[in-house]
Amino acid sequence: MLYLSEAIGRPVRDRNFDQIGKVSDLIVAIEDQYPPVTGLVVRTDRRSIFLPWSAVRSLDGTGAQLATARIDIDKFQQRPNEILLRADLMDKQIVDIDGRKVVRVNDLRLDEIDGRLRLVAVDVGAAGLVRRLGLGRGFRVLARSLHVSVPERYIDWEDVDPVESSIASIKLRVPHQGLAELHPADLAAILDRLAPRDRAGVLASLDDEAVADAMEEMEPDTQVEVLEDLAPERAADILEEMSPDDAADLVADLDQDTRDDILRYMEPSEAQEVQELLAYPEDTAGGIMTTAYIAVGEHVTAGGAIDLLREWEPDAETIYYVYVTDDDDRLVGVLSLRDLIVAPPSTVVADVMIREPVAVGAFADEDEVAEVVAHYNLLAVPVVDGEGRLVGIVTIDDAIDTVIPAAWKKRLPRVFGRR
Amino acid sequence: MATTGSPNDPRTPVTRPTLSREAAIGAIRRVRRQPRVLVPLRRLPAWRVRMVAVLGVLGPGLVSGFADNDAGGITTYSLAGARFGYSLLWVILASQVVLFFTQEVGARLGLATGKGLMGLIRERWGVRWAAFAAAMMLLANLGSIVAEFAGIGSALSLFGIPPQISAAVAAVVVVSLIALGSYSRIQYLFVAIGLSVSIAYVISANLAHPAWDVAFQNLIVPQLQSSPAYWLMVVGTVGTTITPWGQAFIQSYVADKGLRSEDLPASRLDVFAGALLTNVIAAFILIAVAATLWTSGQRDIATAADAAKALTPIAGPAASGLFAVGLLGASFLGLGVVPLTSAYTACEAFGWETGVNWNWREAPAFYGLLAFFIGFAALFVMIPGLPLIQVMFSAQVLNAVLLPFILVFVMLLAADRKMLGPLASGRILLTLGWLATGLLVLLSLILAFTSIAGP
Repeated sequence: MLYLSEAIGRPVRDRNFDQIGKVSDLIVAIEDQYPPVTGLVVRTDRRSIFLPWSAVRSLDGTGAQLATARIDIDKFQQRPNEILLRADLMDKQIVDIDGRKVVRVNDLRLDEIDGRLRLVAVDVGAAGLVRRLGLGRGFRVLARSLHVSVPERYIDWEDVDPVESSIASIKLRVPHQGLAELHPADLAAILDRLAPRDRAGVLASLDDEAVADAMEEMEPDTQVEVLEDLAPERAADILEEMSPDDAADLVADLDQDTRDDILRYMEPSEAQEVQELLAYPEDTAGGIMTTAYIAVGEHVTAGGAIDLLREWEPDAETIYYVYVTDDDDRLVGVLSLRDLIVAPPSTVVADVMIREPVAVGAFADEDEVAEVVAHYNLLAVPVVDGEGRLVGIVTIDDAIDTVIPAAWKKRLPRVFGRR
Repeated sequence: MATTGSPNDPRTPVTRPTLSREAAIGAIRRVRRQPRVLVPLRRLPAWRVRMVAVLGVLGPGLVSGFADNDAGGITTYSLAGARFGYSLLWVILASQVVLFFTQEVGARLGLATGKGLMGLIRERWGVRWAAFAAAMMLLANLGSIVAEFAGIGSALSLFGIPPQISAAVAAVVVVSLIALGSYSRIQYLFVAIGLSVSIAYVISANLAHPAWDVAFQNLIVPQLQSSPAYWLMVVGTVGTTITPWGQAFIQSYVADKGLRSEDLPASRLDVFAGALLTNVIAAFILIAVAATLWTSGQRDIATAADAAKALTPIAGPAASGLFAVGLLGASFLGLGVVPLTSAYTACEAFGWETGVNWNWREAPAFYGLLAFFIGFAALFVMIPGLPLIQVMFSAQVLNAVLLPFILVFVMLLAADRKMLGPLASGRILLTLGWLATGLLVLLSLILAFTSIAGP
């Protein structure tokens, strides 16, 4: 076992035990589960030289010993899958995938596995900090006499995601596999905490859907920041993946130029949906509704409706209600999923639906919407325009959102906002 | 069809809320090695939300500038005016220029990296240098926090309350304000108090018929003297205006607010306004004191009662009451910023800044430090017979002496193109920055030299 901090600065000796320089950095190749050391950067009097691992006989806390008599003084050429432990990882921030948080690297732990020295873990504990500060021995004595232990904490390299994009020498595209596996809410919390530049690096590697899911969980301010940092094409793709109501809320927070830019790159139908939603004031039913609902004509059969459900489900916000509209798109009835399933497949929906369902006007106050949802124990309430045409639904999560967090959602105006 | 108008429709579908499919899948998505219950994460550390909320109304530069005129500031400017009349006005002008450049660099670091000062120092030079920088900053900040408590002690001593009691009460009040997150609401009160007392000083200065021509001349032309007392006062005046905590504060604040490169012009304006405001007020405090105390032959300030006399032209017999309220407001304003900045600075240097939930259990280091700073300062002020005015002044000198250590890091970071990209200091800004740092080092050296060599 070897800590990086124990190797840095130690002498490098040739076969005759003459010192040729000091260990300046270690190079590992990110290929296996535990990246093997592939070389040393040695600081000599005049410059930094690179030693391939094959030229090194041993490396431990006392220094490095060379295996060859002669050394080729190679100028260090970083291969695309290699990183420098000290320059790229030490003291930098990483994401602890298992603990779902951003932490700083105190030290790096190397171990011999399968006959090769490999990076196995990141030290993020107090013990590593004490060692780095050069207080290791004093602290151990103190801790022993006080009968306390200096907490050691390691993160297995498998659970580490290096997020630093300020690392100039990282040429490899970090896939951020671990981050992609996180729950969107956790990913959002982590993205919230990264510096904008690191965040951009992470976002670039995630697919649109993962970003969209995380976006829906973010604070409005962060959403705007993230979107404005992306190219409009990418921003448009991500907005398309978001549910239309969330997308519209977000677009509403953008400045006019950015908004136009992004909407131009969106699929026309999706852009139109968003724009229609934008037409409603933010605190009305229209402002919080989504257009991703399921509506069928009066003459469709129950079996046909279930088929439609299957087809549309991926996009719809909720499938617990199926709305029934007439030829002019006017809302005439509603069916719960249960009604639909228990009805014989050949029945026409008009015969089993509940007529005159509860609905709210598009300009109804959001508090009123919440009241209706609560009063009738609805999972979603349909929204209709002045002529009674179905224009959207407000799902229960959006409805209660407007009432409950009133206290903590109050944000102070930005002095130096971009608006 | 029924709208909201007919709420009693019996045919409403009633369905119990069920766990959504997405939520169910999300909950089982991450079971790699050991299954476990997911606890929801909070977005931002609570105190950060608080800190931004506390100061959200003002720009970072304005806040930082305004908090510069805390208890130590008012006291130092008063002392300068009483002991040396108008002759230190040039220091205030010079400090303003230097303050603008240092704060501008801090804002730029925050804008370009989105990170705090200690985080950058650690990434660039490793944990030992970060620990060193943090130690320097915390030492200076500890002095500042002691000064704030001394300010509260002096202010309340005007009403006959002993500092032992006022320090204890103030500590409890500050801790509760921070714990309850209610600094945001009461902050306006302190800012308002600060502003009205500043205006009182401006009016008082005018009513006292100062020698405007002398004042103006001294503002532009440095009046150098060789006495150690003079240079000590110069150092104190600089130290109260340009502070290590101000440097950390502006950077973290800019970063936390999510400001970015495009906001640079606005940030520069804000920083300039902050530097101007703080120094115009400082100048008027000095002029008001010089025109009253110094002119009438009282050449020193031993207690708050002496300092309060500068407000007599406007407030008459109520001067001490007005001064007490102003000093109190300024102290609490400082206590809303400096302890939080200090604890954050230390956490950042040691990598504890990104904890999950910022409650007592999960961020013991943060709250432990906060409690230590406030507790230490309150206890320190309780030492019987402590010359509170002198304590406040000494804290400013300490700040000035430790400042160059921090500024060297700042200037080195500011020149780093790899880190800052296009926001890195150009040749002119870099030269000016190093010039300012060099002057501060020189000042500390002069102070050391004059105090050893004597007059």
